[in-house]
Amino acid sequence: MTTSLDQAVETIAPKPGRLSRAAASVPGAIRSIRSSPGALSAGLGILAFMVLISLMSVIWTPYPPAATGVGPVSSAPSAAHWFGTDSVGSDVFSRTIAAGRTDVLYTVLVVVIALVVGSVWGALAGFFGGWFETITLRLLEVVQAFPALLMALFIITILGPGAINVILVVTIIPLPEFVRLARAEVMTKKNWQFAEAARMVGNRPLVVLFKHLMPNSWRPLLAYASVSAAWVCGNIAALGFIGVGIQPDAVEWGSMIARGQADVVNGAWWESFFPGMGVLLLAIGCQLIGDGIAARNRGEQR
Amino acid sequence: MAVEIAAPPARGLRGIAAPKIVRVIGRRLIQAILVIWGVVTMTFLLTRVFAPSPVNLFAQPTDTAADRAEIAKRLGLTDPIPVQYVHYLRDVIHGNLGTSYLTQRPVTADLLNKIPATAELAVYALFFGVIVGVTIGVLSAVFEGSIFDRVMRLLTSAGLALPQFWVALMLILIFFVDLHVLPGPTGRLPIGMQPPPTVTGFYVIDSIITGHLSTFWPAVQQLILPVLTLGYGVASTLARGARASMILALKADYVRTARALGLSRGRIWFVYALRNAMLPVLTMFAGTVAWALSGAVLVEGVYGWPGAGQYALNALENSDFPAVQGFVLYAAILYVLIYQLLDIAYSFADPRIRS
Repeated sequence: MTTSLDQAVETIAPKPGRLSRAAASVPGAIRSIRSSPGALSAGLGILAFMVLISLMSVIWTPYPPAATGVGPVSSAPSAAHWFGTDSVGSDVFSRTIAAGRTDVLYTVLVVVIALVVGSVWGALAGFFGGWFETITLRLLEVVQAFPALLMALFIITILGPGAINVILVVTIIPLPEFVRLARAEVMTKKNWQFAEAARMVGNRPLVVLFKHLMPNSWRPLLAYASVSAAWVCGNIAALGFIGVGIQPDAVEWGSMIARGQADVVNGAWWESFFPGMGVLLLAIGCQLIGDGIAARNRGEQR
Repeated sequence: MAVEIAAPPARGLRGIAAPKIVRVIGRRLIQAILVIWGVVTMTFLLTRVFAPSPVNLFAQPTDTAADRAEIAKRLGLTDPIPVQYVHYLRDVIHGNLGTSYLTQRPVTADLLNKIPATAELAVYALFFGVIVGVTIGVLSAVFEGSIFDRVMRLLTSAGLALPQFWVALMLILIFFVDLHVLPGPTGRLPIGMQPPPTVTGFYVIDSIITGHLSTFWPAVQQLILPVLTLGYGVASTLARGARASMILALKADYVRTARALGLSRGRIWFVYALRNAMLPVLTMFAGTVAWALSGAVLVEGVYGWPGAGQYALNALENSDFPAVQGFVLYAAILYVLIYQLLDIAYSFADPRIRS
């Protein structure tokens, strides 16, 4: 009896989109990517390429990325050193791909944490309303009044650098928007028929929220997650560039750009250029995925 | 479906409706004050409750526990937190943000010294960003799908994705190191050149007003690269916003009606659609101001620009909390005020919101 009612609830629920239905099976997922708008597949392609290169750097880099003096100091790109060497004679190519590991990993971690925490927080605020919602909204307004990077820099001055602290301060930047989006989604959908039906069969409020409402609200959140990933990696690099990043000696794009900074006026462009390209590629990849998902959402609404 | 219920007009004393303009501005002002109060409270919590005690920065290694207690008392750290909070609020209202550990001068005085340099940079960058960004965005929308549109979308995507400090370095590389057409990153003037007498604090304007024309061109040359660096990001944001908004406007019913009435395309694009499309861009502008203030910290460092951003960066590297807090607090307050001002402007520019 309950099962059939539950099924009824499922059928009343807004039709899951092409993406989610197709993604249920692996061949379906591949088909979905192939038939998806150019932006989405290009973005996923770039991201897959970066993840692949990063994984590869775990087992192989031409030279050890942290080692100094593996070649002449500040030499231009050559057959022996594809991206040249930096001011302490490290191989820029090895460092650039090894740094990809750090930056991609931290970007993904930060976005996932912000997505999960922000969605749950926003969903609870939108579902229950009341004082919890009021406090949440006021708090977001205050947090968003701070220019984003300045807020991160301010908190990191207080906490000090380090991996955990970097994750924490960079997460604060996209978090408010996730909370807002999740709240808005849940608020508009909590009185739709499928939610009403889910409540009527006797589900507890939290079950209605997390089993019925949230699965129907993830798409705008996911689109925002991809878009925000683009600035998250920029902000991680900015902290590294200033020298308050993950670790003083971590192989990371921002700190690589900082190391090459002094040599730029001498014309040694390769030391800073290639890590910057890494940030660009990762950010553009994430932007394209976000654009693709957003375009798909719009397409289905029509 | 939620039914929109028109709110009854807010009334002033004795039930007389206050003039609309007063009501709108009053409401916005109260909101701005509340947010600023929240901002001040948050900086208080962060610096006084979560930050490590600053006593160590003042104490000598030989000081005894009694000496340290004395220092804590002098800094007001022994008071209960609510008392400290009241004192903090009073100090902020009086513009007293404490003394920089690094320069041993009041933070407010330090910042006031540095602000003209940052303001000169930011104002030109925002000006550049608005003109270039909106022009590109509108043309991209009108010629949607053309080669121009595609190239510009690529450039503006890169403008959002590239770290500003990297753009700064690459511009120095191209225009100073390789082409020798612009000066190196030596700050506001070439090394050894005297600034013009201060009137506005903007070197370019001051050199004209006071007749020191010999510093005019060098000051302009020093500005070009930092302004381009900051302006590129601002232009990219606004171009994407203006494009999206203009495309939407061009699809509106009134545009179809105007076309059916036989109005010229130029008139439809630049008189009818443009005016409607620019409203959302107005609110986006506040975001770019915040972006430029954040960017100043990174970009000023690269160009050796002696502004508030570099001051904050220096403070950051030396754990000088009062100085960092001062810059962040002023930046947040400035952002809130600009945002609310734009919102007031918005509500007067758009009759749909006004009514």
